[in-house]
Amino acid sequence: MPSEFPMNDPRNIWKNQTTEAFKMSADQLRRKAQQRQKKSRFEAVSSIIIGLILFGFFARTFARVHEVVPRMGLGLLGLWSIYLAYQAYKWFWLERLAQDATLNTTLQSYRSELERRRDYARNVWRKAGLTFVFLGAAMFVVPGMIKSLDAPRLLLLNFGPFFVLLALWCAIFFPMMKRQQRKLQQEIEELGVFERESRI
Amino acid sequence: MSQDSLYEQAADTYGSSLDRLARAYELDPDVRRDLLQDIHLHLWRSFACFDLRCSLRTWVYRVAHNVATGHVIRQRRIRDRLVSIENIEAMPGNDQVELAASQSEAFERLSMLIQRLKPLDRQIIVSYLEGMDASSTSEITGLSPANIAMKVHRIKNILRRWFEQATFDEGGLHAK
Repeated sequence: MPSEFPMNDPRNIWKNQTTEAFKMSADQLRRKAQQRQKKSRFEAVSSIIIGLILFGFFARTFARVHEVVPRMGLGLLGLWSIYLAYQAYKWFWLERLAQDATLNTTLQSYRSELERRRDYARNVWRKAGLTFVFLGAAMFVVPGMIKSLDAPRLLLLNFGPFFVLLALWCAIFFPMMKRQQRKLQQEIEELGVFERESRI
Repeated sequence: MSQDSLYEQAADTYGSSLDRLARAYELDPDVRRDLLQDIHLHLWRSFACFDLRCSLRTWVYRVAHNVATGHVIRQRRIRDRLVSIENIEAMPGNDQVELAASQSEAFERLSMLIQRLKPLDRQIIVSYLEGMDASSTSEITGLSPANIAMKVHRIKNILRRWFEQATFDEGGLHAK
């Protein structure tokens, strides 16, 4: 078939690039697969340990505090740390290990990856357990603030830095999540147009 | 056929294509090496459930593109700057038709164009450059052959704009 680019066919340029004869032996592949599995498990175990350390910290504080409301707050924060460990286990141990790109067409695979990320950004309150954190922190901090109302200087010194950091975090994190969600949604819609056009 | 022998066959037949495919998704040689290893690893693992529902070629390209697309998706900052074939087609061509002085420069240029594309468009252009027809590309991507044909038409227009003013002789590419 005569080339459609008689002077210089980009397909020739593409195919003439020097390539490496890359191939892995069965042993190398097995070793690599095991390494991957170990790495994923190590990441899972580290995250679980961090969750458990946080839980230990909240439990210790729980034992030292005697008021009911702060205790409930610490209980919620403890629950969150367990939830965090569970999410890490689910992400690193279960999902990553099952992540084999096989039967799906590239369109389906691309879409499901984008949807997974969009859903996380959309449901970050639930997925990252932020409701537990905010509620728990509020229950722990607010009674202390109420007690310090008589001494505004102390109130400012004790709680000021915490609220400044919290405000900064909120000002960065939530708009970032919103923007990410919007961009992912846009990409998903573009794929939707492809799919609709494909059905015609 | 066993998982290992299927992988052997795929690596022998499509090894060079997979290397080129990895180049379409990653410029950095070290990262590309990791990506290529990743593609081979996923390919080998995938053959545990290869059921002849599609050809070996379709299977290999699907797995490879899926792994490479996952790689692009993880690079959020880069992904945000990617454009579609339509965007590139709509761009004024003056900045792009500077002529390539050598074949390697022409390859760099082609590579640059591919790196700017969104994953799905990248899959189509790579399939086209690998010499696949619309129906084979459709089997890999899941888009209809008509849709692929339309995209390929656009790709050809873009490539023509980029390459038609150059001639190719023994020394490389030169201005007409």
